Amino acid sequence: MAILSPRMKGWLERFGCHIGTANKSGFPTTIVVEQATTEGDSVVSFNLTDAQVNHIKDNIQTNPYVALAPHAIASIRAAYQFKGAATLDGNKLKVDVKEIYCTKPGPEAALRLDTLPPEHVIKFEESRWRDVGPPK
Amino acid sequence: MKLTDEMRNILKVGSGNSAVTYLTTSSSDGVCNVHLQPYTDVYQDEFIFAPDLFAQKTKININENRFAVLTVAHPPEGQMWAFRGPCNIIQWGHPPKFSFHGVVAGEVLDKWGDWGTLEPYDSVDDDIKPKSVGQRGVFVLKVEEVYSCKASESGSKIL
Repeated sequence: MAILSPRMKGWLERFGCHIGTANKSGFPTTIVVEQATTEGDSVVSFNLTDAQVNHIKDNIQTNPYVALAPHAIASIRAAYQFKGAATLDGNKLKVDVKEIYCTKPGPEAALRLDTLPPEHVIKFEESRWRDVGPPK
Repeated sequence: MKLTDEMRNILKVGSGNSAVTYLTTSSSDGVCNVHLQPYTDVYQDEFIFAPDLFAQKTKININENRFAVLTVAHPPEGQMWAFRGPCNIIQWGHPPKFSFHGVVAGEVLDKWGDWGTLEPYDSVDDDIKPKSVGQRGVFVLKVEEVYSCKASESGSKIL
C-alpha cells in the first residue's frame, strides 16, 4: 500500500486528475475529473458523471489498474503520477493507490516515491518544491 | 484527420499558449502510464510531436503498443480534448528514411531533434523546467480521433 503525503492529497483534492485506463489489450482511454477526495492513506475517490462512467466502465471491469496525473495547474506544481486498482460503484470511482512516481521532466522523472519511508517523501517534497502546504 | 485552428493554436510550438499536456500510453497488457509533456508541436495539421526527455516508461509502452492519448492539462479552460491514435518514437539513430505513417525520421530529427532550437526549455514554469536536457527523440502521435473530456460529454466524438 502506498501512502499519500499531505501535499499530494491537497493537490489531488483541489484539482482532480487525468485518469488513464486501458482495455486488456492496451487500447488507452483518458478521462479528466476536476475534483477528488482522499480517504485514509491511499484511496482517491472521484464522482463521475454518467458520460464518464459510460466512457470507462468496460475498461475498469476488465482491467481495473489505472494511472492518475493531477489536472490543471497541479500538472505543473504537483508533478506526480499515481497508479492503483480502481473499483466503480455506481458513479463513484475509487482508486487504491499502489505506486507513486515523481514526474518532473529530467533525471528524476519516474523516480518511485512510495517505496521511500513517508518522512523521506516529505523531505523530498520540501527540497524540490517551494510550496509544501495546501494549494492556494 | 485535420486538427482545427483552435487545437493547432494550443499545441503548436511558439504559439505562446504553452499548453501542458499528458500523453497516456499502455503496456501491451493494459498497464497505463500518464506522462507529463510540456512541449508539443503540430505537423501537417494531423500529427502531434513532442520531445522525449527522460520518458522511460512511455518509451517502453510505445515500443510494445503503438497507441496513445494526448490530453490538455493546463490551461484547463475550454480545451477539454483528447487526441488519440497510433503513436511512435523517432529516435536519434533511426535510419533517415525510417517512416511512421509517412513521417520520415530524417526530416523530423533535423527540425525537432533538438527541441531547444524551436523553443527555450525555460519557457515553462520552474517546477517542470528540466534541470538538464538529453533529448533522445521525438514522439509522433497521428491523430485519428478527437473526443471530448468535458465531464458532461466525456467520450463524445469531436473529430
